[in-house]
Amino acid sequence: MSASRTVPVSSSAAAVWTVESGEHRQPGIVHVVMLALFIGIGIVVGTLGSLAIPIGFVSAFWPGQAVQAVGGVWFGWWGVLAGMFFPFISNALSGSAPIPVSAAYLPANFLQAFLAGAAFRWLKADPRLQSTRDWVIWIVVGVLLANFLGAFWGTYVLAWFGMITQSARVTALLGWFFGNSIPSLIFGSILLKYVSPMVLRSKAFTKGWWA
Amino acid sequence: MNPAVEVDRLSWTYHLAARPAVCDISLTIPAGEFTLIAGPNEAGKTTLAMAIKGLIPHSFPGRRAGVVRVFGEEVQRKEAALLAKQVGYVFSDPEAQFTSLTVEEEILFGLENIGVPESEIEHRIRRASELTMISDLLDKPPYDISGGQKQRVAIASVLAMDPEILILDEPTSMVDPLGKDLIVEICAELRRRRRLTLIVIEHNLEAFAALADRIVLIRGGRIERAAAPREFLEDPEFLERSGVYPPQVTQVFARLRAHGLYRGPLPLTDEEGIRAGDALLRGAGA
Amino acid sequence: MVPVDSPFYRYHPVTRLVLLVFLSVTPLFVDMPEINLGLILAALVLLRWGRVRMQQIRRYLPLLATVALFMFGVAFLAPGDRAHLAAFRLAGLTFYFQPMWWAFVSYCRLVAMLFGAILYFSTNRERDTLVALRSLRIPFAVSYVAALSLRSAGMFMEDFRTIREAEQARGLDLESMSVGEKAKLYTMYTVPLFAVALRRADEISNALFARGYTLSGRPAGGGPRTDYLRRRYPVERRDRALSAGLAAAFVVAVVLGKVMGVFSDQLSPLHGAALRTIGLR
Repeated sequence: MSASRTVPVSSSAAAVWTVESGEHRQPGIVHVVMLALFIGIGIVVGTLGSLAIPIGFVSAFWPGQAVQAVGGVWFGWWGVLAGMFFPFISNALSGSAPIPVSAAYLPANFLQAFLAGAAFRWLKADPRLQSTRDWVIWIVVGVLLANFLGAFWGTYVLAWFGMITQSARVTALLGWFFGNSIPSLIFGSILLKYVSPMVLRSKAFTKGWWA
Repeated sequence: MNPAVEVDRLSWTYHLAARPAVCDISLTIPAGEFTLIAGPNEAGKTTLAMAIKGLIPHSFPGRRAGVVRVFGEEVQRKEAALLAKQVGYVFSDPEAQFTSLTVEEEILFGLENIGVPESEIEHRIRRASELTMISDLLDKPPYDISGGQKQRVAIASVLAMDPEILILDEPTSMVDPLGKDLIVEICAELRRRRRLTLIVIEHNLEAFAALADRIVLIRGGRIERAAAPREFLEDPEFLERSGVYPPQVTQVFARLRAHGLYRGPLPLTDEEGIRAGDALLRGAGA
Repeated sequence: MVPVDSPFYRYHPVTRLVLLVFLSVTPLFVDMPEINLGLILAALVLLRWGRVRMQQIRRYLPLLATVALFMFGVAFLAPGDRAHLAAFRLAGLTFYFQPMWWAFVSYCRLVAMLFGAILYFSTNRERDTLVALRSLRIPFAVSYVAALSLRSAGMFMEDFRTIREAEQARGLDLESMSVGEKAKLYTMYTVPLFAVALRRADEISNALFARGYTLSGRPAGGGPRTDYLRRRYPVERRDRALSAGLAAAFVVAVVLGKVMGVFSDQLSPLHGAALRTIGLR
């Protein structure tokens, strides 16, 4: 008896992302409102996280990345947009990065918000993290890959602005990576596990990317 | 002339709900009438109101049967902005409907949505704020004022849009007693000044029974009784069993009547109660 | 906390936004730390002039201190290829001039940019930002999202505080908690915010529908949206003069700084003084 080479997608996981027959989904006011509210939450979470344990720009604990990742999973492009833009304000309020630096961070914030949402949709993972497969996809893509790429770009920005030396890039990358990944793994997992059931029932949840 | 509201065999079941929230409801509300919709919690009152406003099915997934028409046109076919011009809706939680940073902007928001020209805006804001007694609050954040003031701001922001039908969903539920009196006063003033079709949802009839032209009782998603207030309140015990509480003065005189101590019509207001009590003491009502 | 009354309010919100852009972006083109220190001083003077309570600025001091520690620490510990750097000794330790100097230049630039944002957020209410965006003809939906985001951040911050105070009223002692325990508590406080956000999204979207709002923000019948609020904020001559002056100053800074190299850090008097002080000149 040979082991299966692919791990099958559970029917409930696939069902989360499947637009049912007769179901009509389109972007609506609720998505625009959710975008605004999610930016608001990101501002609060990002600001308080940065102030909690500030170590220069490479915060030892930035749970804002968890908000970016779950936003992309739950709300598609609306969540990605929120994840890209809330750091502008949370960084300014906490004083952890001026506006031009936040602007330069945009590609990193985009990746940190986009990758988890893309992986969950393309690989049909359940946002409620119900199987090992869902957890693997979340951790590998949503936490590790997203934060590695985000840290790579972010430290490039830091070096370009002269905030770190080129030779410190690796250290800074590791600091950024762990400073985002650990809270993302803890906080993001809690959000996906316990808040996703509510989100899936809401009008704002997007099965596609816009609705 | 078309009635203001026609509900024709409306049934609505919310997505994932086991049973319909309203079932086969038919109701016609003529233009200019003040209709009080009463019933216990979860009776379907708000569902009916939201169906008239068009929030159902626009904003809520579910299954619908039947038709709702406003001034002869089906609600579902109307655009949001046109519906907003014709049907104003004030939610029971005033804070849930605030979207702006100051009271003035809150009133202004709806006016800009429906395309009111700039030259008319100031006049509408002033008129609505005077009617609802909030003229001194225009610069304040709407979430930084008392519950009664919030509800009046919510009413003003809808009134400024000059709707032909105004729906107030439990307008006194989150308000202190003084605030309640002011809201009742506003409704009374609206009745006096303009031929607005007013629909108020309440389960406590104390404040509005005397103002209404008709009271409709909804229970279990169906209309159980609809009549003019005096006729509606003739059987207070039935109403209490249905989860609806008549005005206290009505209840008192109903008990007197039940004990054979009073034979006159049941009063709806304290003033009527005083007159009836006075007549009773003089031997006229016994 | 924005002051109730401030001379800043005499200027149009767009003018104040131009000032933010000027103070936040100009340092990017200036390497000379004296110029950036001058911009920091200007921001502090403007904060004072704007009647901002200077105690509010104190909350940024720990972050500025740790940023300095971080940047100079990195420059000390990871200076790069030591073979091409000028070394000097101080307090028994070996430092390398070029990375330390560059950390100083970058730090001055960074703090100048930060103070631009601090000045803006200390002297502008949410409404001012909204009026500025609408005056710049940003699509209504975008400016509405911006306003609602700022407003909702305030609401969520208030909810967060309420939850924390309720816990403290029940005997929670934050001071005695470890970092790990604080992090766990923080997570517990923020999860309910998401549930609140979902409920608010439904309520607000219903309210918007009820008031005739459409996705694009365009009014019924098409055509441009009336913008009554902008009428209350006329653009005065002083706004035009100040905005033009700041724009001109910015262009001059870019030309002098990056095109002609006049603001190069190598031409900085402080650079020469530093070299002389540590005996490298």
